[in-house]
Amino acid sequence: MLLDRSDLERVLAETLAAGGDFAEVFLERRQISNIGLEAGRVERVHSGLDQGAGIRLLTGDSSIYVYTNDISLPGLMKAAADARTALKQDSGEPQVLTLVREGTEKRGAAVSPISIDQAVELVHAADNEARSAGDKIRQVLVRYRSSDQKVQVANSLGKMVTDYRNRTIMIVHVVAAEGTVVQTGYESLGSCNDNSMFTRNEALEMAAVSARRALMLLGAKPAPAGRMPVVLAGEAGGTMIHEACGHGLEADIVGKEMSVYAGKLGQRVASELVTVIDDPTLPGKYGSYTYDDEGTPAQETVLIRNGILESYMYDLEWARRQGVRSTGNGRRQSFQFHPIPRMSNTYLASGETPPAEIIGQTDHGLLVKRMGGGQVNPTTGDFVFDVAEGYLIEKGRVSYPVRGATLSGNGPRVLLAVDLVGTDLGFGIGTCGKDGQGVPVSDAQPTIRIPELVVGGLL
Amino acid sequence: MERETIVQTGLQLAEKAGADEVETYFLDRDNLTIEVRGGKLETLHRSRERGLGIRVVKAGSFGYAFTSDLGQAAVADTVELAVQGAKYSSLDSGASLPTPASYDRSLAQFDGKIEETPLEAKLDLALAIEQAALNTDTRITKSERAAYEENDYTVLLANSHGLRVSYRANFCGGYVWVVAEANGDVQTGSGLSYSTQLAQIDPVAIGQEAALEAVRLLGARPIKTQKLALVLPPQVAAQFLGILATALTAEAVQKGRSLFADQIDKQMASPVVTIIDDGSLVGGINTAPTDGEGVPSERTILVENGVLRTFLHNSYTAGKEETVSTGNGVRGSFKTTPEVGPTNMFFRPGTASEEELIQSVDQGLYVFDLMGAHTANPISGDFSLGATGLLIEQGKLTRPVRQVILAGNIQDMLNQVQAVASNLRFYLGFGSPALLVEPLTISGD
Repeated sequence: MLLDRSDLERVLAETLAAGGDFAEVFLERRQISNIGLEAGRVERVHSGLDQGAGIRLLTGDSSIYVYTNDISLPGLMKAAADARTALKQDSGEPQVLTLVREGTEKRGAAVSPISIDQAVELVHAADNEARSAGDKIRQVLVRYRSSDQKVQVANSLGKMVTDYRNRTIMIVHVVAAEGTVVQTGYESLGSCNDNSMFTRNEALEMAAVSARRALMLLGAKPAPAGRMPVVLAGEAGGTMIHEACGHGLEADIVGKEMSVYAGKLGQRVASELVTVIDDPTLPGKYGSYTYDDEGTPAQETVLIRNGILESYMYDLEWARRQGVRSTGNGRRQSFQFHPIPRMSNTYLASGETPPAEIIGQTDHGLLVKRMGGGQVNPTTGDFVFDVAEGYLIEKGRVSYPVRGATLSGNGPRVLLAVDLVGTDLGFGIGTCGKDGQGVPVSDAQPTIRIPELVVGGLL
Repeated sequence: MERETIVQTGLQLAEKAGADEVETYFLDRDNLTIEVRGGKLETLHRSRERGLGIRVVKAGSFGYAFTSDLGQAAVADTVELAVQGAKYSSLDSGASLPTPASYDRSLAQFDGKIEETPLEAKLDLALAIEQAALNTDTRITKSERAAYEENDYTVLLANSHGLRVSYRANFCGGYVWVVAEANGDVQTGSGLSYSTQLAQIDPVAIGQEAALEAVRLLGARPIKTQKLALVLPPQVAAQFLGILATALTAEAVQKGRSLFADQIDKQMASPVVTIIDDGSLVGGINTAPTDGEGVPSERTILVENGVLRTFLHNSYTAGKEETVSTGNGVRGSFKTTPEVGPTNMFFRPGTASEEELIQSVDQGLYVFDLMGAHTANPISGDFSLGATGLLIEQGKLTRPVRQVILAGNIQDMLNQVQAVASNLRFYLGFGSPALLVEPLTISGD
């Protein structure tokens, strides 16, 4: 699908022919495979090919984005003309551009997708394993999705990058029932350019964990309601850090002054025990990449160091507006979307207290062993997230399991209040939604204690 | 290739490749989004998406593949992938495609004004939405974005039983998110409206709605944990339909993951609750001549005065129970098969006004917004959601509330609906009037 240098230069020149400050073309060809198993049967094996190109034109603070499935040179020239017409400027001379190749076609290409045969075996193995947990298991759903994506980005700054991302994700969802009580448990596994973890043993482990979670919830009591200390276990995943802090540090939200963290660079925004990092270079993680979707090399960005706000996450557009360099966080769901600042793998770095001591030092509270989804209002900092597995802590010991809990708090206040940070670090994966675009991310944290959060349960 | 040729080529190639039955679905969709902020264009997003989905039945199994590369070679490869997919799928005696039936072409809603109106006028509409919000109150300091959006799509659907469907339709809308600031407090509010007619989009109403919500939340703080009656205005009540829609599909029932599975002809909700899905609703955003597999659209009463009457079906789930499809084989794009899902789903309105509902409450919460609605569990029906709103005391809206959590079970909540107001409003495919619900737990301080 790759266009050669001179064709890309022509498309970019056409985009800028009526003026504008920056032009970019993003080409993508993506092969996907979806396998769905439910009720013991492989119900669907869907495959597909999606290809297209997005053309972006920036002028001042305005941005024009046009996309098309037609990636022939005439198709791209037409899209470029559409972008230029939408801008409605009539000055300007066709620009002369020279592209410099940055990436190579070899990057990431060594990873070949798991074969459909192997993937079908994995989903069946997970199904059998979950069902072996007993007759209270009412239903098992296993979803497997692999996406083999090749992208090419070129822009009027002269950049030209090719990148490959092979992403694989598997989710096991178990429904357990006893009498009229129905509960669910799930577990997921995802990676980028590294399929070595998709083994039979890992599939069995995921299934066992999901089944155990669903069965445990059948015997759980409704969560208590009200304010209390909360211990988030390292294995709980990083949803809280993603919601409470990550979104508010994305440069578009900050630049629009819609973030509680706007204007606070260099200031204390968290407890000195708190260091938060975004790092797409971690090998094999679900949110990893070599280049972002604007062709900027991936890099580690320390967002908060020992409680002091050190950096936001930038894409090219917001870096340009703020007069800084992109941190390589410009991402898009596909060629159908313009890039925006997004997280990759975001984590709260490990501290010094052994996790068992953190529980031991908590007289009464909630232990969250697995987080579900969440949402934040970045302007107020208020967030919620779902507790997929939780227990009451009584006198420093883990007591009975609870269900139906949701936690609510305010991001900056929670980060300032964190009073214990553990030595462990546990990752979770997910699809992060923003402006109608979903991108793969992972997030992590060690065991931490928050002295007070609102727990939403039942009276 | 021309659209018709692509669809025909897909059919022929699949039959040649040994498929017993074939369906080809072609979608051509144009979208325009104009976002403004601070009185200036921020983003103009224009797109054209075209693609082909091919579904086959071979030896009793379904296979599916899609492509947006519409060259002859890619279409041929896609047919191969679909046929191969059928080999991996488990044997399924119910695997078959619908036979053709007559349908009402006039249900393809197309407003020529959306197409004819120049780009500048649409930009002005987005600017007018933002300006209306800013003009409503001096405490509205900025908008995060205001936008105009439109969609125009053409569908061509054919199958080897002789089914042929083709139509073009469009709709448009506008929205805004704003910020209110006073005394060091910051709050946000939103307004949105979508319609099949451009003339129905009222920028002033959208802007004012967002502004009022944000301003009324200024000074909000948590309340203590307690049980409170709830008044859920249309935009909030409609969100619960998203959870309900999943549980009301025959697919969820057949696979043992619907909490309403054994409740047909039983009282599963308060007698004031009637829930309807209507793919033929005039003016509905998801109204179309047929569903995604060519079954004519229709109106289905799911819950009638609290009694569960039926579930939503596509042709596959209907075949398994020897009943007929309700025309709910919903298709998001050419990239997916027709799953069972709602079209235009709504709570039937009652006669009281929203004000009368509020006046009847002694101690309650009027909910502006929910957070984390996507985390509600459609299998157990449990939800636990962040909420903002206004306290109701002695029938009057009083102080603003934030950072509280509203928890319960959707089944219990349906039984606890005490009154349904008359102000039915749609938010894309889900519609509701305001609902009055008996006390639920509100977690706060």
